Amino acid sequence: MTKWIKIAFRNILKNRRRSLVTILAIAIGFAAVGLFRGYAADTYDGLRVSAIRGEGLGHLTIYKKGWLEYGNIDPDSYMLTKEEIQKTVELVEEEDDVVLATPKIHLSGLVTNGMISTIFLAEGVVPKNDRTIKGSMLAFRPVKGEMLNEKKPFGVEMAEDLAKLLELKPGTDAVVMAGTLDGQMNALDVEILGVYDTGIPATNDKFIRFSFDYAQSLYDTEKAGQIVVLLDDWRKTYPMRDRLLKRLNQAGLPCEIRTWNELSQFYNKVRSMMDMIFMFLFFIVFVIVVMSVVNTMGMAVLERTREIGTLRALGLKRRGVGILFAVEGAMIGLLGSFIGLILNIIAWAIIMAVEPTYIPPGVSSPVPLTVKLEPPVVLMLMAFLILLSLIAAIMPARRAAKQNVVEALGHV
Amino acid sequence: MALIEMKHIEKDYRLGETTVHALRGIDLAIEEGEFVAVWGPSGSGKTTLLNLIGTIDEPTSGELRIDGHDVSNLSDNRRTELRNEDIGFIFQGFNLIPVLSALENVMLPLQIKGQSAGRARKRALDRLETVGLADFVKHRPDKLSGGQQQRVAIARALVTDPSIVIADEPTANLDSDTSRKIINLMQDLNQQGKTTFIFSTHDQRLIGEVRRLVRLEDGKIVDGGNGQ
Repeated sequence: MTKWIKIAFRNILKNRRRSLVTILAIAIGFAAVGLFRGYAADTYDGLRVSAIRGEGLGHLTIYKKGWLEYGNIDPDSYMLTKEEIQKTVELVEEEDDVVLATPKIHLSGLVTNGMISTIFLAEGVVPKNDRTIKGSMLAFRPVKGEMLNEKKPFGVEMAEDLAKLLELKPGTDAVVMAGTLDGQMNALDVEILGVYDTGIPATNDKFIRFSFDYAQSLYDTEKAGQIVVLLDDWRKTYPMRDRLLKRLNQAGLPCEIRTWNELSQFYNKVRSMMDMIFMFLFFIVFVIVVMSVVNTMGMAVLERTREIGTLRALGLKRRGVGILFAVEGAMIGLLGSFIGLILNIIAWAIIMAVEPTYIPPGVSSPVPLTVKLEPPVVLMLMAFLILLSLIAAIMPARRAAKQNVVEALGHV
Repeated sequence: MALIEMKHIEKDYRLGETTVHALRGIDLAIEEGEFVAVWGPSGSGKTTLLNLIGTIDEPTSGELRIDGHDVSNLSDNRRTELRNEDIGFIFQGFNLIPVLSALENVMLPLQIKGQSAGRARKRALDRLETVGLADFVKHRPDKLSGGQQQRVAIARALVTDPSIVIADEPTANLDSDTSRKIINLMQDLNQQGKTTFIFSTHDQRLIGEVRRLVRLEDGKIVDGGNGQ
């Protein structure tokens, strides 16, 4: 095999310019795919953290059985009672991999400054637990003023456009109204502790965040819509769901559990969009690599027809001729991938050094544009492009192998 | 039994709508160790005859036996193995692999056969020394003269110790002095071993130096065939 590799390598060097163009096409394609894959992987990581911590979904959300289907029609029957909340939190927090389990409630109603009234959508969260869940994501969704805290249970965080509409600022008061679970109208005074940007125009003029207890009082209930569970590692999400589902059902707490990626529509939509772009880019690279290699090897076969005839006359079998050209194609793929890997690493290093930032959808402040360098993915891509080049070379190689020896020897 | 036996060999080519009768009823027997020149005017069928003996082409009809084997019954792979083991080729245009050195070119048939690089190198060096090119082993073909390239080709043809060496107009691209030297070298090698040399030429000056002449005209042997 060494001799064929030697011949292939020397022929690549002999046709330097042509080989270089093909190798560069593969290299640039490799770098483009590698970088985009690295960017996508980093974005998925960011989106995952954003969904789990930024959106406050945690890793798992526990609902009372039937809530997802009938909760909107009959919330009172499908919310978790005080006892159920207590038992569930205790049971869940027994697990070593669980950081915390915390109740949450969603609300809607009217908010007014005394002059102007408008609708709001809200969530009630336990402030201390909410801060733990948000973690490092707090830096990307800063609150102007104070955050929800235990000292001011009547305080709320209000979305920026809603505050602007109602001419409210941190430190000012407003009134919120909502129908209780019994169907009575209830109103409470609130203090605007802080103002924040949701990052999405559709929600920035509607959202309010309450302390859990105060949200319960607006609905005049001691119940919760769901319990959010935060784990110490996102990779444990699915095993933990199965485990908790089994344990809660055994404990007489029939429930449904959704994972963060099942609940985050934003994550799923962005991921499918990025996957689509990646497939599109990958397809373009695929076509370029195949066409370049087929063209290069086709020309090589044509130019070396006489050489093929000579090799066949010397006793090289058809299979051997095919292998000779296939090896050359694979070697072009190898060199292209290797240079592509170097380009990929250089581009990655530049991005890491320059640290460019951008504002992605759903986030209100700039985030660093980072690209992941994943050795297993890069190696797989390398192997794929080498294999692709080899397969692309097989077509002209087969043509070479099938040539009639006498005609090949007579080729000018 | 002769090393090469041809009985009633016909070879036709299709050239567009017309059929060209390249060989018409060839009967030829060549014994082991012979030094045979096939000569005749252009288009007489010399190259076709050599291609058939070299098993790189197949007759339209007739029987061709090499060392007792009916070549027409052999598969393409078996014929290729036969060429590798028993037949050496010397081409008019030398046909050396341009990216390989003289030594690597001579090693090639042995490596195709599956011999280790070490053994092939030793044998190839020996053959290059025989043809007087011991000092040029690392030269690529483009750094060698025509005569030197043909010597490399001769070394390559002989490196597997074949029973037959076929040379199609081996001196056509060489000057007359080099041509004579190449023919003399082939004759010397023929006398040293048992290898049968069959070469084609239309150079009258070389014909006088050859023991057996086979003259072809219009695809037929007109002189030097069986029993002559």
